[in-house]
Amino acid sequence: MASRAVPWVLGRQRAGLRRWGAVLLGYLAMGGAVALVGVPLLWMLSAAFKETKEIYVFPSTWIPQEPTLANFPRAWQSAPFGRYYLNSTIVTVLGSLGKLLNAVLSAYALAYLRFPAKDLVFLVILAALMVPPQVTIVPWYLLMSDLGWINTYQGLIVPELGVAFATFLLRQAFLSLPREVIEAAKVDGAGHLRILWSVVLPLSQPVLVTVTLLLVVTRWNEFLWPLIITNTADMRTLPIGIFWLLDQEGNTQWGVVMAGTIFVILPLLVIFLLAQRFIVSGIAAGAVKT
Amino acid sequence: MVSIGRRHILKALVGTAGLALLSACAGAPAPTPTPAPAKPTPTPAAQPKVAPTPTPAATTPQRPGRVKITYWGSFSANLGEAEREVVNRFNQSQNEVEVEYQFQGSYEETAQKLTAALQARTQPEVSLLSDVWWFKFYLNRALAPLNDFFRAHNVDKNDYVDPLINEGIRKGQIYWVPFARSTPIFYYNKAAWQEAGLPDRGPETWEEFKTWVPKLLKKDSSGKVTRYAFAHPGAASYIAWLFQCVVWQWGGAYSDPDFKIRIAEPPAVQAGEFYRSTTVEGWASTPQNIDNEFRGGIAAAIMGSTAGLAGHEKNAQFPVGTAFLPKGPAGFGCCTGGSGLAILAATPPDKQEAAFKYIKFATSTETTIFWSQNTGYMPVRKSAIESPAMQEFYKQRPNFQTAVRQLPLTRPQDVARVFIPNGDQIIGKGLERIVINKEPADTVFKDVAATLEKEARPVLRQLQAVEG
Repeated sequence: MASRAVPWVLGRQRAGLRRWGAVLLGYLAMGGAVALVGVPLLWMLSAAFKETKEIYVFPSTWIPQEPTLANFPRAWQSAPFGRYYLNSTIVTVLGSLGKLLNAVLSAYALAYLRFPAKDLVFLVILAALMVPPQVTIVPWYLLMSDLGWINTYQGLIVPELGVAFATFLLRQAFLSLPREVIEAAKVDGAGHLRILWSVVLPLSQPVLVTVTLLLVVTRWNEFLWPLIITNTADMRTLPIGIFWLLDQEGNTQWGVVMAGTIFVILPLLVIFLLAQRFIVSGIAAGAVKT
Repeated sequence: MVSIGRRHILKALVGTAGLALLSACAGAPAPTPTPAPAKPTPTPAAQPKVAPTPTPAATTPQRPGRVKITYWGSFSANLGEAEREVVNRFNQSQNEVEVEYQFQGSYEETAQKLTAALQARTQPEVSLLSDVWWFKFYLNRALAPLNDFFRAHNVDKNDYVDPLINEGIRKGQIYWVPFARSTPIFYYNKAAWQEAGLPDRGPETWEEFKTWVPKLLKKDSSGKVTRYAFAHPGAASYIAWLFQCVVWQWGGAYSDPDFKIRIAEPPAVQAGEFYRSTTVEGWASTPQNIDNEFRGGIAAAIMGSTAGLAGHEKNAQFPVGTAFLPKGPAGFGCCTGGSGLAILAATPPDKQEAAFKYIKFATSTETTIFWSQNTGYMPVRKSAIESPAMQEFYKQRPNFQTAVRQLPLTRPQDVARVFIPNGDQIIGKGLERIVINKEPADTVFKDVAATLEKEARPVLRQLQAVEG
C-alpha cells in the first residue's frame, strides 16, 4: 500500500508544481503585456514632468530628477488649446453620433430587411472598407470646396459620416442575435423602429458600446482630414495642436509635447473607464439570459 | 454660373440629409418624417455657421483697403513663433498688405494640401515649399516667375547667397526664393573628444576620422557598444541628403543637371562602400533619430543639419563642437537644403504684387538677421552675414560661425534627389539597404539607378514641354 502511495503523492506534487508553473507563466505573460502597453505611457507621464534636457539623458531616468510643472502651462499657452478642445468635442460628438445612427440603421436594414440587391449593397460597403482613406482625400477636398465648406464644421464632420466599418461590425452582431426574440417581438406587433429600439439595441449593448468607443477614439485622434480641411487656428482640433508643438528641425521640446499629449488623451481615458463597465455588464447579462 | 448652380444643388442635397440626420438624432425613435426635404431652398444647416469669423491668432487689426493675402507654411513650435513674428512685423511695417500665416503641417503635408488646393482653386498666394517639392509645382506651371518683381522692387538678386538663390532659378527666371535654408555640418561631442585625447576640432578627412574611431568607440565588458563613433539616420528620409555630400567628396554624383543618373558609377559606389564599412566594422549606429543619439551621447559625432544647432547646444549633456564636413578622396563637398518661398501663378496680378512685398520683407537683410538668430537657419543674404549684428552674434556663438563659413563652399543638390518625384526616398531606401542590411553598394545602386531613370522619364517629358 505504502509503496503504491508514494508515486501517487509524487504525482500530486508534480501536478501542483505544474499548476504553479502555469500560474507563474501566466503572470509573467500578463506582466509582459502590461509592460508592453504601459511602459510608453509611463515614459510619457514621466517626460511630461521633465525639462527637455533631462529627457535626452541616457540611460533615461524614470523618475524625474528635477520634476517640473512648467511643461503644462507652456503647452497650453503655445496654441489656442481651449478652442481646440471645443472643436474636437463638437466634431467628435456630432461626428460619432451621426456615424453611429447611420451605422445602426444601415446594419439593421442589412440584417433584417429584405430588399433587392441586398448582397450587392453589402459588398459595396465591404469594398468601401478596403479603400484607404488617403485616396479619398483629394476628391473630398474638391467636393467640400465646391460646397464652400472648407474651414467649416460641416466640412470637418460630414465627409466622415460614411460608416463601412461600423456597419459591417454591427450587421455581424445583429445577425448573431437569437432570431426567436425578434420573431416574438414581431408577433407582439412591434414595428421596425420598435424592434430596433427595444430589442436589437439592448441585446447588442456590448458591441454598441465598443463600436461607439472606436468611433469616438478615431474621431478624437483624427489628424489628416482636419489638417487638410481647415486653414485657420480657430477651426483646428487637438491633434493638430500637438503637431504644432513639434519642431520641423528636430528641436522639439519633448516635455511640452508629452504634457500636451496628456491633456489630449485624458478625456478619452475617462470615457474608456466609464464605458468599460457597460461592455462587461453587457456581456455578463447576455450570458445569463441565453 | 454653372458651378454656382451645382453648388446650390449640392448644398441643398447634403444639407437636407444632414438636417434629417440631426433631427433623427435628437428626436424620439418614433418614425416622424422630417419636413425639411420638402423645402426647395437650402436649409439653414447648409449655411456655414462659423466660417468667416476672423481668427483670434491674427494680431493686427483689419484695416480697410489693405490687400489680404494668405501664406501657407510648415513652421510650428519655436520656429512657428518666429514665423508669426516675421508676419506681424510685416503687417505692422506698412499699410497696403496684410498677410495671414496658416500652418499646414510638415513640408510633405503642406505640399500635398497645396496639390489638392490647386485643383480646387483654393490655393494661397504665397507658400513655403521644401527643396524636394518646389520643382514639382514649377513643372506644373503653378509658380509665378519673379524676375520682374525683383527688378521693379529693386531687390538685388546678387545679395542672396549664390548657391541658395541659384537653386530656385530656371532658364534665368527666379521661382523659388531661399528662406529657411540649412546645410549639413559635422557635430562632435567635445567631452568624448577630450576623453579620447583628440584635438579639439573636426577631422580633416574621413581617413583621419577612421584613425580616431578606435579611441571614440567604447564597449562594456560584455562587448556591447556603449558609444559609437558616428551615426547614420536609420530611416530612408534625411540620409540621402547627407550622403549627397559624401558622394561629391568621393568625386561622384547622384546625377547630372540633364537628369543623367550617375549613382551607379564607380565614385558613388565607392562612397557607398565607405558607408557600408562604417556599420560592417561596427563603429556607426543607425538610429531612427540621429539628433537624439548625439544628444544622449550614444554617438560621438554626426553629420546633421545646421538648423539643429541651437537644439543641440541647449539639450546636449556636453559641450558641442562643430566643424566643416570631412573631406573625401576627391576633396570637399557639401550641399544645401531647407525651404523657400514661392508665389502661386494662379494669383491675380495685384495680389502677386502684394505677395512679393511680403517675400521681399521676409528675405530682407533685417528680417534675415532676426530669422537666422532665432531659428538657426542660414542667413540667405550676404549683407546680413556681414552686418555688425550677425558678426557680434557669431562672436558669441562660434558654432554658428562654422556653419556660415562653410556656406559659400556649398552647392545645390543633384537633380536626382530633389527634382525626381520621390527621388529622396528612392536613394534613401537604397542607402538603408547598404548601411542596415549591409548589401554591396554596386548592386543596390544599380537598382536605385534603374528606378531613378524610370521615374525621371515623365519629368523630362514635362520639362521639355515647360522649358522647350
